[in-house]
Amino acid sequence: MKTTIETRDLSKRFGPHTAVDRITLSVYQGEIFGFLGANGAGKTTAIRMLCGLLEPTSGSGTVAGFDIIRQTDRIRSRIGYMSQKFSLYSDLRVIDNLRLYGSLYGLGKQALARRIDELSALLSLSPLHGRITGSLPWGWQQRAALACANLHRPEILFLDEPTGSVDPVARQTFWDLIQTLAAGGTTIFVTTHHMDEAENCGRISIMIDGRIAALDTPRALKERTGKPTLHEVFLHLVDPHSESLKERA
Amino acid sequence: MPYAVTIDNLRKNYAGEHALAGVSFSIAAGSLAGIIGADGAGKTTLMRILATLISADAGAASVLSYDVNTQHRKIRAAIGYMPQKFSLYEDLTVWENLLFFADVFGVIGMERQRRLDRLMAFSRLGQAQDRRAGRLSGGMKQKLALSCALIHTPRLLILDEPTTGVDPVSRNEFWRILKDLQRDGITIIVSTPYMDEAEYCDTVLLLHRGGVLMQSTPAQAVERYPHALFRAESRAGTVRWPARAPAPRGARFVYPSGGALHVAADPQIVNEPALLEALREVMPEIETLHRIGPRMNDVLFSCYNAAGSAGPESAPPPAPAPGHAHNPLAMIRHAISQHRKGRP
Amino acid sequence: MTAPWTGRILAVMRKEVRHILRDAQTLAIVIAMPVIMMFLYGYALTLDIRDLPTLIEDPAPCSETRAIARAVDATTMFKVVGTVPAFGDLIELFRKYHVKAVIRFPAGFGADLRNGGTAAPIQVLIDGSDQNTATIVRNVAGPLIQDEVLDLMHIDPPKPLTVDPVVLYNQEQKSALFFVPGLMALLLMMISALLTSLTITREKERGTMEQLLVSPLRPWEVIAGKIIPYLALAAIDGVIILVVARISFGVHIHGSVLFLAAASTVYVIVALMLGLIFSTVAKTQQQAMLMALPATLLPVIILSGFIFPLASMPAFFQWLSNIIPATFYLQLVRGIILKGVGPLELWQPCAALCCIGLVFFGITLRLYRVRL
Repeated sequence: MKTTIETRDLSKRFGPHTAVDRITLSVYQGEIFGFLGANGAGKTTAIRMLCGLLEPTSGSGTVAGFDIIRQTDRIRSRIGYMSQKFSLYSDLRVIDNLRLYGSLYGLGKQALARRIDELSALLSLSPLHGRITGSLPWGWQQRAALACANLHRPEILFLDEPTGSVDPVARQTFWDLIQTLAAGGTTIFVTTHHMDEAENCGRISIMIDGRIAALDTPRALKERTGKPTLHEVFLHLVDPHSESLKERA
Repeated sequence: MPYAVTIDNLRKNYAGEHALAGVSFSIAAGSLAGIIGADGAGKTTLMRILATLISADAGAASVLSYDVNTQHRKIRAAIGYMPQKFSLYEDLTVWENLLFFADVFGVIGMERQRRLDRLMAFSRLGQAQDRRAGRLSGGMKQKLALSCALIHTPRLLILDEPTTGVDPVSRNEFWRILKDLQRDGITIIVSTPYMDEAEYCDTVLLLHRGGVLMQSTPAQAVERYPHALFRAESRAGTVRWPARAPAPRGARFVYPSGGALHVAADPQIVNEPALLEALREVMPEIETLHRIGPRMNDVLFSCYNAAGSAGPESAPPPAPAPGHAHNPLAMIRHAISQHRKGRP
Repeated sequence: MTAPWTGRILAVMRKEVRHILRDAQTLAIVIAMPVIMMFLYGYALTLDIRDLPTLIEDPAPCSETRAIARAVDATTMFKVVGTVPAFGDLIELFRKYHVKAVIRFPAGFGADLRNGGTAAPIQVLIDGSDQNTATIVRNVAGPLIQDEVLDLMHIDPPKPLTVDPVVLYNQEQKSALFFVPGLMALLLMMISALLTSLTITREKERGTMEQLLVSPLRPWEVIAGKIIPYLALAAIDGVIILVVARISFGVHIHGSVLFLAAASTVYVIVALMLGLIFSTVAKTQQQAMLMALPATLLPVIILSGFIFPLASMPAFFQWLSNIIPATFYLQLVRGIILKGVGPLELWQPCAALCCIGLVFFGITLRLYRVRL
């Protein structure tokens, strides 16, 4: 199986503080990889390095076949990025945002129009083209953002907490879309705090204090720790002393 | 007083849309109430009205027996409020933020030091005391915001999605704190997108399109669950059900949940083997099917299903009635009327 | 036992001071700007006309024409850059030599003079594109050359009427003295209004406004707590301006320093209120700034009498200047610094300034929303 992301002993230090401590992982094409960890565990730093936004202190890695230190500009045209903080221009219409991002990624007019139609059909965005992006409910803004991140057919999609505070039904719809993309060959690299969503991933990794403490399929992790849900697996691995409130009650 | 909050037929419109369309409910004093619902269902609007930050267009609401329209000062002195977006000063340190709110709420002298120490201890922010609030991790920010909301020992806490974007461990800790606070007699109203957190609450309110779709205790909600629930798993991994595919024979509706497929069926006529076969016709990877008890997540899907939508997010949101968006005169009129409502 | 509201105001003050001190960039601008502008106005920009490049067009140079040329060059106003023989096209002359004035002697001037009189006049040609300069040059060049000619002819000019203008206040007619009051009005207004216009909108943008609203803080407490630190900043700026004016330009205050401080305090408070008005109305910091800049800068520069004399303006604008705080402040500062006048004479602008302040305070209070 072809790997689309590979790192070896990737590290990042900020002065005396080690944010990312020698992480080694491989992500396969078409995989949905869940990149989990507590806040401050180093996830955002790691993702930034993979996207070519931050230079590693040591170690190496390739994304979409390009080196993350020396070929960052080539990486950017092969990946899509969506984060909870980043979203589209809220005072532009949805179609304006789509065209804007399409042209930023170098799509020609006709190719862009076709691609917009394709993605809008997939994501049910067509009736919303003329709406001002900021006026839509958050879940729909995220869908539009997902479309924008996909216009240039990226090999890898980096999703940084894409579902945020949206309710479970909407989140499932969103994940359905992600799974469709993955089935089409796009590698999905996603971080989330919703452990029920993490169950949808092919494999997950859990970062603790800059290191990768676990990397396996959800099922294997559940079997290994003897916990029924990823939520409890997470609690068990990250903070063994924290008792789930259910056990307490 | 038996009820900390009573609301009667509350309405609120934004630019022609109904954010709240006649909401009525009561929350018992000393209870932990969870508000769940989709984006745009009205959760934040409701909480802001209770916190007296915005005025309702119609209806009545009383918080701690004070009216939200006429006695907002008394309410503000007795409640602690945490908005969804982090609302403390990022360029001030943890300690400076706490001190500011202590001063503003008039907490002085010996009592002040006592409370500050206690808050620092229970939020475990002691080591980060001199760190700028902007540099804290998500979980720590929320704990700081909670501490600032508690500095004046309020009788009611209104928390708008306090655990969004916070990792499971910190979330767990946060709810442990909330439970402890409840033991001290504080009434707590929390909104959350996490269904497992809804299960910790004494009563759960499901808001949908500006109205209350369900209000009950988690236990009652589970008891009243009208379907037989099954979990279909595949050895290969995640079960993928094609979107918008009709429910298989013998099932009422299906939805993905926790990597597997949940199947709701009529409890009177359900036939497990037939159901499994019908599922495998569509998705051959499905291998096992077993009956499970519903959790809040399942209750939610059931409610939406009963309300006639496959989920609030399945169809694109309708455009609001053509209103002030393109009419400058209407915009000015609207702004003036909003401004007038701002009168205390 | 102090009242609770003092505790609250102090809390807001402390917070604002911390914000100010931690925003190094803004702080640097606030302290550096007055110094920079003082030097800019003082040295680089001046109304005094000096060293105007002047060309002499002399078809028949002789000792008389050279004497006149020397007299012209000896003034600070003119600087003779060269002499050319007769040149035909005037426009071409100005363009070719990049001069501002040309003094053109008629042919045979020297001979005429020695014979007791001149028929042809000496022409002084001025580049009129800068009207102010042209007028002044015209008024100076005429008598200057005339005096010199009469001197060459050894004639004492008759003096039936002496018009001896005496310039009161600002005898040396120093530009600096003219600018310093105006600069004070401008800088204090700009800094105060701009900075405070940002402070409430910043709270709105960051979301901290919600927390303030839900607290026991009353609107006037928030306003007072925010104003006081900016008042201190403005005071520092005022002192910097006066110190630089004194050291570098020799401007010293003829009147009472205390009165000046009091008047400036009132003015700054008015400016702060104006800033607050903008910040309660604006939704974003950008909006607040875009409101504050034209509303403060333009009236101060154009309508207060800073550069353009009020008396020469149409009646409507004169009336308009009466609602601009800077107009009254300028009268006060010019009075105190240049004329040494006291409160008794200047009570009118004082009262006007206070009135405006109260009106602004009222407006701010009304606009401060108690709800989102």
